[in-house]
Amino acid sequence: MFDSLEWATHGVKRGWLELDSRPVVLLSVILGALTLVAALYLGLVSRTAAQGRRIEQLQTEIFALQRANEQLAVDIAEVSAISQLTERARALGFVPAEQVEFMVVSD
Amino acid sequence: MAEGPQRRLRLLIALLTVFLFVVNVQLFKVQIVDHEFYARWAEEQRVRSIRMDQPPRGVIRDRDGCLLAGNGVRYAIEAAPVHVRYRQEAAEDLASVLHMPAAYLEGQLSSRDDNGNYRQWIRIAPSVSREVGERVAELGIGGVTVKPLWRRIYPEGALASHTLGFATAETGYYGVEGFYDAMLQPEPVEWEGPVDVESVPVPWKPISGEFPRRGVDLELTLDRTVQMLVEEELARAVAAYQAEAGTIIVMEPDTFGILGIASLPTYDPEDYARFADQAPSLFEDPAVSKQYEPGSVFKIVTVSAALDAGIVNPDTTYHDQGWIEVGGQAVRNAEGKVYGDQSVTEVLVESLNVGAAWLSKAMGPELFYQYVQDFGFGEPTGVDLAGEVAGQVRLPGDVERWHPSNLGTNAFGQGIAVTPLQMITAMATVANDGARLRPHIVDRRIASDGSVSDFHAVFQEQVIAPETARMLTDMLVRTVEEGTPQAQVEGYRVAGKTGTAQIPIPGGYDPEDTITTFVGFGPMPDPKLVVLVKLERPQSSQWASKTAAPSFARLAAQLFTALGIPAGDQMLAEVTP
Repeated sequence: MFDSLEWATHGVKRGWLELDSRPVVLLSVILGALTLVAALYLGLVSRTAAQGRRIEQLQTEIFALQRANEQLAVDIAEVSAISQLTERARALGFVPAEQVEFMVVSD
Repeated sequence: MAEGPQRRLRLLIALLTVFLFVVNVQLFKVQIVDHEFYARWAEEQRVRSIRMDQPPRGVIRDRDGCLLAGNGVRYAIEAAPVHVRYRQEAAEDLASVLHMPAAYLEGQLSSRDDNGNYRQWIRIAPSVSREVGERVAELGIGGVTVKPLWRRIYPEGALASHTLGFATAETGYYGVEGFYDAMLQPEPVEWEGPVDVESVPVPWKPISGEFPRRGVDLELTLDRTVQMLVEEELARAVAAYQAEAGTIIVMEPDTFGILGIASLPTYDPEDYARFADQAPSLFEDPAVSKQYEPGSVFKIVTVSAALDAGIVNPDTTYHDQGWIEVGGQAVRNAEGKVYGDQSVTEVLVESLNVGAAWLSKAMGPELFYQYVQDFGFGEPTGVDLAGEVAGQVRLPGDVERWHPSNLGTNAFGQGIAVTPLQMITAMATVANDGARLRPHIVDRRIASDGSVSDFHAVFQEQVIAPETARMLTDMLVRTVEEGTPQAQVEGYRVAGKTGTAQIPIPGGYDPEDTITTFVGFGPMPDPKLVVLVKLERPQSSQWASKTAAPSFARLAAQLFTALGIPAGDQMLAEVTP
């Protein structure tokens, strides 16, 4: 009888592995806080890395656009070079002005 | 537990304890004692300093914003054989675009270093066109990189080549490119941060600091239309008068800004490498780097000095007997002519050497050379072009090089060396009421942040009084009208003076060849342009009146038309609604 009672109440007894609830809560809070900090840190780092990557891409894009711009300016200048314009004007039948008449305005 | 196993267990525990102790000691040493060393080592491996893409060199434009020197794009094709996987296919793909043998390319992509490992880096093609570079990039071959490069382009070809100079990938030489090289250079930026095993930046942290800045853009006083007219006339004059070389400069007298400047022979700045081997002296701008004896054109200095010093006036006369003694040497007129009684004005009109020597003798060396120096001879003008020389003026204090007879010969431009720019600056001083400014070629600078620095005229010296300058101008108008009608421009009044100079050779002067110069300005009474024409060793005639003067007249007429400059007594009609 005694043995069977002891067996029955065994589960509700404070076992040797059973801890006090306050340290457990404290530990859980610390762990939770650490997890939160780690998660925030991870989020921040990954966001920074993503931004870094984006900036890098934008810089590459800027350089590419800058190259395209410079090349375009040169291309335009080459087709509108004065020698080209003169040649084209002559081909169209224009001739250099030789004597310009200025209109005299009286005071 | 039995005695034996228990002893072995204790022994194991002891050994483990010792082992752990050693490990902990080592850890302590690494983590604490040698912390600095290992931290630095790790940093060195992980962090690299990488130069970001080079921004372009500053561009050069003319006064209307037309591009004279810009930047084109080319590409260098490079590879890391260690990272190329399918070498044969890669070589075939590259061969089809680069037009190089596939076998050669495969050999390159399979090249190994001394240790037998695939190379980390090779250059396949140092500089290919934009189209080819972009096609290689589109192939997307792993381990093959396409690196953009800047290449200096001169869209107007050889136009103003001496003035612009040229630029390699890194440095500018001669002309504006050389003078303003530091300013035109882009500012490279080095980025420091974590990299991966292939030294590619890891986007661990955003690249901070300044973005690379392009070089400063320059806008010149040069007008490309004027420049073209100048170059066309120079080519025509050199061919027509069978000259060896020539220089023409066009300047604004109120600012001393250079509108056009050209010399022949010339070169193509984009093809500088070819000329560097064949004729590197071509790179020097004769307008600022080549000195010569100017001859009679220098009489404007002598006459203006004598007028300004109050020693003579335009009507003062002297008796020209065909020669005059100065410092023990006889100075003679050209062709030994005798002119009798002549006025100071006629010294210019008839270009009398004896009259010029008479004036310098009357002034004395101290006064004469003071004016020579005040006009800027014997020192660089300070123009913003690379390679300017000072010319050569022997002064009385220099007992070894100066002789009293130099006073006579210098008066008509012999025994003195000047640059074409110095000569036109002296004439521009006369046209500018006697005030000498610093000649310049850059009108404004535009920094990469858009800030603009405009040029402001730099006053150098009031060389002669404004009244003297106007007096001399009238004399120079008469000089053209009566002495050198070949320089007259129809419908306009211009002032000017010829110079036919002998060329010094060892032991004397060349008996046949000359250097002819004409410097003039107009239109009167409010001159807008000063023009210098200089021709070396013309064969059709040795006289400036028959070579440089008519060239001046043709050019001035075209410039007045092109720039819409009416004759002085005319006014442009105003269009009113």
